Amino acid sequence: MTRKAHFERNTLRFPQKDFDMVKEGIVSLGIVGVAVVIVAAIFGAPYRPAITNQEIANQKPILVMQTAMGDLDGQGEMAAYGPPYNNGWHGVAQNIQSIGPFSPQTWWGTPYHLYTPNADVITPLTMLATASNNSALQAAIQTYNAASYTQQQAWDNNFTNALNKATVQNGQVVVPSGQYGPVQLMMNDELALAKSGLLSGALDRETNNGVYRWNIQNDLLFLQGPALHQYAKTIDMKGGQWGINHDEQAYPGPWWLTPYTFLYQVPPGSTSPSGDEIVAYTIAVLFGLLILLPFIPGLNKLPRVLPVHRAIWRDWYKRLETTNACASCPLATSCNKEFHGPMTAAADHKIPACYDQTTSGAEGSRFVSQDSGIQPHA
Amino acid sequence: MNWTKSMRTTVTEKLTWDNLLPSEQPIYVSSLVYSFGVFTLSSLVFTIMSGVIMAAYGPTWYQYSAAGAFFRSVHFWSVQAFFFFMTMHLVGQFFMGSWREGRAMTWVLGALSFGVSVITAFTGYLSRGDFFSQWNQVQSKDAFNGAGLDGFLNILNNGQVYGLHIAVLPLILIVLVGWHMVAVRAKGVVPPYQAAHVQKKEGEKR
Repeated sequence: MTRKAHFERNTLRFPQKDFDMVKEGIVSLGIVGVAVVIVAAIFGAPYRPAITNQEIANQKPILVMQTAMGDLDGQGEMAAYGPPYNNGWHGVAQNIQSIGPFSPQTWWGTPYHLYTPNADVITPLTMLATASNNSALQAAIQTYNAASYTQQQAWDNNFTNALNKATVQNGQVVVPSGQYGPVQLMMNDELALAKSGLLSGALDRETNNGVYRWNIQNDLLFLQGPALHQYAKTIDMKGGQWGINHDEQAYPGPWWLTPYTFLYQVPPGSTSPSGDEIVAYTIAVLFGLLILLPFIPGLNKLPRVLPVHRAIWRDWYKRLETTNACASCPLATSCNKEFHGPMTAAADHKIPACYDQTTSGAEGSRFVSQDSGIQPHA
Repeated sequence: MNWTKSMRTTVTEKLTWDNLLPSEQPIYVSSLVYSFGVFTLSSLVFTIMSGVIMAAYGPTWYQYSAAGAFFRSVHFWSVQAFFFFMTMHLVGQFFMGSWREGRAMTWVLGALSFGVSVITAFTGYLSRGDFFSQWNQVQSKDAFNGAGLDGFLNILNNGQVYGLHIAVLPLILIVLVGWHMVAVRAKGVVPPYQAAHVQKKEGEKR
């Protein structure tokens, strides 16, 4: 094959018909544009306002305290998450995903560092104490920081246990009296800060190397546990409910993620602690297969044996038959046998007798490929 | 080897007006399947146009103004149309075995475009700024972290996600789609399958 032939549009060996590409493009743009604008005007698009720490604090004040305590005493999910946020709680991570020894989650260290006691409790409360000139809170923070780790854990455990028996009275969380050290005061002020709406402001300030930026990491990670999960469950948004696959009711969601979401509904995606990693790499392999389809023996011949292409090119095959293009072809019998064989026994007998466009017929020499060396059958 | 000459030759031979804007096409092109490609492209045009308007007014405009909400809706439905037509296009081209006769790269570019589109759309969902964004951010952080993408992408950083969505990923997608279209035009649309023995015979002679 010559270099020129390599670039040649070899479809020119077939009979041609008039085609107006510009008109087709404009008409298509018109159809899609009108359809999209009409549908957008009638149906709008889904939108459900985001949930804030302030809302959770007002609706479920105990939950905010439990979250803050988990961050303070290391029992919370984010406190012991592992990379990329931290190395777990005092070196022990809750769950680092891994397929055998393959654990890419750990490759990058902790670029988005999060030490939850400081990030979620001590720093915001210190800001609040300064802003409100609150010496009692200032003293409580100093007491907590100065105490031994054993003492801190004792206070934390006592207060965490007390929260299980807590009640809400006039918006305040009431717990039985106990040995809580400075923790009870700190938690009451943490809740007050959240209720005011300023907790999010404090958290957002931490992750932006300044204030006027967009990294909402710590703010979202404070919310990410039970608070968001409980709400998501009520609108069928959790992973096991095909969450990411659908949007608000009645609106189409990202349905193209169906194969991905499906893998979360069945083991090991639904059961393994490394389910995310397993699902991600399964999809990567499947997508690799899709990309490399032309080169995969067997798969690349699959459409040849599936009859769908006969429907797509039915006009062409019908034309071959009606123009009697195969009349003089010595291979007509085997052609006929192939395409009227068992697979198509029940099909319409108008299926062409021959797929061979190299025969001479009504279209004459235009059927012949100039560079393929194929000659019309005599 | 002279790279300039080589490039000039390639471009001259591939990008002829006859290839880029053909006024005729093979007679076997006669099916609705062939319209999915151009509909996909048209949907992409409206996706980009509505997206550019939204970007111009800033990332909260479409959350509080009626006009912003309308363009967000146009954007949303354009994306739905885009994925619908792209999926139909992909399925149709699969059944036509459209990687045949030197068109493998066309398929590869198309499949890559699909993958980049999925990621682009996902960053778009995360940029919506509502509960759906918020929830999928905290959910997908585990997936991105577990897959080992955490070193590059902090999915909880709205600035990074938005930047990827409105600049980086669309640029990659536009390049891929453009390259895909040039590949289609340079080679012409794939011819119908021939009888097996004819293909074998052609293969022997080539």
